Amino acid sequence: MDAIVIENVTKHFRKSTIQRHTTFKTELIRWIRRQRRRPPPQNFIQSLNGVTLRIPQGTTIGFIGRNGAGKSTLLKIITGIYTPTSGKVEVNGRISALLDLGAGFHPDFSGRENILINGIILGMSRAEIRARMQTIIDFSELGDFIDEPVRTYSSGMYMRLAFSVATHVDPNILLIDEILAVGDEHFSRKSRAKMNEFKKTGKTIVLVTHDLSTVETWCDQAAWIDGGRIRSVGVPRDVVAQYRDAVELGEAAVANLTPDNPAVGATPTSPSGNGQAHFALHLKHVQLLDQVGREAPTLDPNHSLDVAIEFEASEALVDVGFTIRIYHSHGMQVFGTNSFIESVELPTPLPRAGVVRFTIERLGLPAGTYLMDVAAHNRAGVDYDSNRGVCSFKVSSKMQGTGVARPTHRWSVVSDSSDNVARNLE
Amino acid sequence: MVRNLRELYKYRALLWSLTLRELKARYRGSVLGFLWTFLNPTLLMVTYALVFGVFMKSPIKNYVFFLFVGLLPWTFFSNSVGMGASAISDRRDLLTKVRFPPQVLPATVILTNLCNYLLSMPLMFALGIYFGMFPSWHIVAYPIILAIQILFTLALVYFVSAVNVAFRDLQHILTNILTFWFFVTPVLYSSATIPARFREAMMLVNPMAAVMTSYQAVFYDHHLPAAGSLALVGVESVVLLWLASLVFNHRREDFAELV
Repeated sequence: MDAIVIENVTKHFRKSTIQRHTTFKTELIRWIRRQRRRPPPQNFIQSLNGVTLRIPQGTTIGFIGRNGAGKSTLLKIITGIYTPTSGKVEVNGRISALLDLGAGFHPDFSGRENILINGIILGMSRAEIRARMQTIIDFSELGDFIDEPVRTYSSGMYMRLAFSVATHVDPNILLIDEILAVGDEHFSRKSRAKMNEFKKTGKTIVLVTHDLSTVETWCDQAAWIDGGRIRSVGVPRDVVAQYRDAVELGEAAVANLTPDNPAVGATPTSPSGNGQAHFALHLKHVQLLDQVGREAPTLDPNHSLDVAIEFEASEALVDVGFTIRIYHSHGMQVFGTNSFIESVELPTPLPRAGVVRFTIERLGLPAGTYLMDVAAHNRAGVDYDSNRGVCSFKVSSKMQGTGVARPTHRWSVVSDSSDNVARNLE
Repeated sequence: MVRNLRELYKYRALLWSLTLRELKARYRGSVLGFLWTFLNPTLLMVTYALVFGVFMKSPIKNYVFFLFVGLLPWTFFSNSVGMGASAISDRRDLLTKVRFPPQVLPATVILTNLCNYLLSMPLMFALGIYFGMFPSWHIVAYPIILAIQILFTLALVYFVSAVNVAFRDLQHILTNILTFWFFVTPVLYSSATIPARFREAMMLVNPMAAVMTSYQAVFYDHHLPAAGSLALVGVESVVLLWLASLVFNHRREDFAELV
């Protein structure tokens, strides 16, 4: 059975909602002229544009997309806070939405009193809350603070209390907007465990987040919402990959436009433009080569990668080193090193022109898109030249895996009974 | 209207919790705390007793008691309407963050003020006894009058709270209207002082006039209120509540977007 059925839902916001205050004069004139209150259609902001989605019971689905794509609006429509302009939403089950923590908390009341009020607002009965009060307090780890007024709480404590109440409501359907990261490392892990418990007990969870790895690892399904429409829905890995590609494309488009258009940037900058100290050394070209020496935009995690950095110097430099950094396309640094910290003996002085080769014997990265920074600098870290994020490569593999690294590994099973020989399953 | 009332009943736990919170929050942090609920009307009473009992002698016997019979329910009414105007528009936190039945909010304002009013009633009785005016059996009519007043207030608050969401000037306009309304309603004076040719009209257009006169009849004059005008107010209130519910239900889907 489907927990949530969304059929062709659209949502318009009247622009006057944003300008809001109509003056008495305009109201009066409108009334005198007996005009229809409805403003012309171009005064609408189209937030959702025909969304159709079925979420089966027990599924955990993640909504991803850019800011303003309509994710939160959709969540509010499912919750029932907003009514769709057209279309239909059907919800089967008790719903609890964590759109914002601590709705209705009163600063002058103690944590305990606020649990009661907040619980009732979230749809529990007084008796239900009384029964769960201690569990909620224990979960929040507020200790003696529970009887202090909420206004004295730190923001972390406030969030902990609010999250504790909201997750103890015991809903069938849980809607969460971007609040999994509650409090410190410890509590954040605890809240994740709580969410996992929800998942295991077969509750339907709808999650709006920008944390793509959470969607990949934790959700059963992902929906990419863009411009008020569902761009793609399905297996999280695929949807997230599509979304990342689109974001990257968008970024690349922006990056390409700026330097190529001399009219825009009035101040002349160096070709690779990162505000270097001096131009004594210039990185002419960076090439990524696969195991047979071909320039390769797509690599295999089990093969090697050669980075060939072609440079040209205006003088014979003594104090020079090279840095390589590899980033995942969503920003996390995977690896970084430089020739100084590895005490690599480069020829001194460095030849006036040549190629530095950086060889990775086995790439060992999971499938995905990566960016590379290359820089030449002196011992003090002042750049001669750098080439940031311009080189990108893809790693593709038939094997799926998550995380940031793909170490060399093999699987084996050893049987307990002695007559069987251990068998490798390489 | 019926649906609205039924939903109010359905959410009574929520309504009651919010009311309790409002009652507790009002004097939270003050040293005297809940005692202010009694202290405020007492001090008001002392002021009025001084002005109208000593400085400006009124021809009405036991004027301070007479005044209080009308002033307490009027305060209940005017506070409810005044605060009720922003009942929806001030609660963005509840309306946009959780699924929340908006009709509970205006009702909370009324219930809170009703509690404050009822808590100040013993004071009125004490004052009456001080002046030698013991309550008579006519008090049986009191719950009916109060019920009609609540119905009328509910209708008005539903209407103003819904309209104020889009038209915020209303709450400021209301402050002035309420002052005017106070003086055209027989609270400070007896309805007998209204020229006879206006009296009937006044009772007809101003439901609060009939309600106030009824309170004075029961507690001060010790006779049953005029059933005709009271019944009329009752009918008016029901019609108004029906209309207000229509307006409220028509607007309620927009509340979350507009607050």
